[in-house]
Amino acid sequence: MEKTTIFPLNKKSQYFIFCIIMIALIIFTFLIAVSLGSVKLGEDSIGKIIINKMTGKEVYAPTWEESAEIIIWTIRIPRTLTAFIVGAGLTLCGILMQVLTKNSLADPYVLGISHGASAGAVSVIMYGYLSFLGGYGTMVGAFAGAMLSIIMSLKIATIRKKLTATQLVLAGIAVSALFGAATNFMIYHSRTGSDKVRTATYWLMGSLSGASWEKLQYVTVAFVICFLLIMLFTKQLDVLLLGDDVASTVGVNTDKLKLSIIIIATLLTGIIVSISGAIGFVGLTIPHITRTIVGTKHKRLVPASLLVGGAFVVIADILSRVLVAPEELPIGVVSAFFGAPFFLYLIRKSNRKLGG
Amino acid sequence: MDSGFKNKLSVEGLKYSINTKVIVDGVSLDIEEGSFVGLVGPNGCGKSTLLKNIYRVYAPTCGAVYIDGKSVHKMTSKEAALEMSVMQQENNIEFDMNVFDMVMLGRFAHQKMFHNDMHRESEIVRAALREVGMEGYEERSFMSLSGGEKQRTLVARALVQKTKLIILDEPTNHLDIGYQYQIMNILKSQDMTVFASIHDLNIAANYCDRIILMKDGKIIDFGTPEEMFVTPKIKGLFGVDTQIKTNSVTGKPNIIFLPTI
Repeated sequence: MEKTTIFPLNKKSQYFIFCIIMIALIIFTFLIAVSLGSVKLGEDSIGKIIINKMTGKEVYAPTWEESAEIIIWTIRIPRTLTAFIVGAGLTLCGILMQVLTKNSLADPYVLGISHGASAGAVSVIMYGYLSFLGGYGTMVGAFAGAMLSIIMSLKIATIRKKLTATQLVLAGIAVSALFGAATNFMIYHSRTGSDKVRTATYWLMGSLSGASWEKLQYVTVAFVICFLLIMLFTKQLDVLLLGDDVASTVGVNTDKLKLSIIIIATLLTGIIVSISGAIGFVGLTIPHITRTIVGTKHKRLVPASLLVGGAFVVIADILSRVLVAPEELPIGVVSAFFGAPFFLYLIRKSNRKLGG
Repeated sequence: MDSGFKNKLSVEGLKYSINTKVIVDGVSLDIEEGSFVGLVGPNGCGKSTLLKNIYRVYAPTCGAVYIDGKSVHKMTSKEAALEMSVMQQENNIEFDMNVFDMVMLGRFAHQKMFHNDMHRESEIVRAALREVGMEGYEERSFMSLSGGEKQRTLVARALVQKTKLIILDEPTNHLDIGYQYQIMNILKSQDMTVFASIHDLNIAANYCDRIILMKDGKIIDFGTPEEMFVTPKIKGLFGVDTQIKTNSVTGKPNIIFLPTI
């Protein structure tokens, strides 16, 4: 019996069309994200502001107020670009975690790595012991926290060299709870007043409100480097999905590869969390959805899912600003409303597989 | 064991223990080039552990494994993959892929990071799929296949590695009898040295040139199927009484198990 299915899109042309559609969607959502807010400006003015700023000249004579220009250029545009990079980066981390554990339930948030990174970042900010590193201190702290938590999660989840889905999820819950508690403790220990609640929410639920061009630069450089490195290893990632034993018999040095994956994924998670807090479920849902559309091969999966993940967080950011306007929802609330039901669905699916 | 013939695979004094428990206890063996050798023994005797030491999933506590005189554990993963391919029981994978891509992964060790002749690579994959009777399945998803089809796909993946030695770690377990013979036929027709752990003694008798008997982590005997499959040896190994006849068609020993009444 031949099953006829549209997905995955096996043809190259279909794949490129999918990517082009995603890029168009990203440009469209970018313009909406930048034009939304208390200061209203049309798309044409936004385009003119961007061109003026990029060229450094007044190509178009301003027909808008200077304050609007400042809001657009120094707040909304870096924020929206950060949303894209954060989405794409978390998706990349999710893919790497899934290859590492051979489990579609894995992602930096589920495994507790995001909260580990938050705790690391908060400890640096609150107690200032890495102040000699300046702006990099927070990132280094987040990376250290991410590293500590991934080691804990994987150690707890691995029994006799075997890693089961149930163990993995349970380990993630425990590690997440531990580092979430540590984050809360450090914040309540060092801050006073209403500020502490807001700070805790920022780190544990995520927010893009702190985005700036400077932070965007760091995270973009880190993301691009990680992305390019991973694109060199797509074949190895494909092979590793077959299991460590099989991967080593077809010629992959699994120990070295897995160590590289852990380092890249924790580094990127740490840097992303240090600028956006812990935004959940992006790395879980996006790779899974994209995999059903473009297939499992990482050479196709990685670029396509980064586009989808970027678009997802840009849209989630728009929703976080619109749903309870003029208040702003933590972006993690929006991503969890979408991601948590999806997580439940994946758990059910993996149970069915065990039963069958 | 034979003089004048080249040994493809040699194991020398291999010991493997977990904590203080000895699983493989000083195994030495030679596999002659071009032969089909079966490893037979009861469950838990260390067959699979021995094979995993050979194909580098485990590192031996002491002893060494050589292919053509080169120490397996001193090779890089890639070098080892060019010398020996391995077929295990079908493992459950979480992420699906199509049959063509699955077999192509067996080409990993032959491919460079950039600039591969993908036309030639595809031809090798298609030829292997033809060889195992899976032509026309290229676009099918691996997880939708039956047990026998999955196993044949994995044979194709091992074949595209183009090695001269293949290790089979209980390759035909869980398959019905038709598929078991089909897979053994495919492997027997290859120009390869085969070292396989086999549960079914009649399959071992029909396909193997040499049989190695293993019990309690040690090799207790080796020889031709005619020499090994005799009533007292099988009784000693598995505790089962047998009647053994020479099959008039194959000329191989035919083992009939007798119930204890």
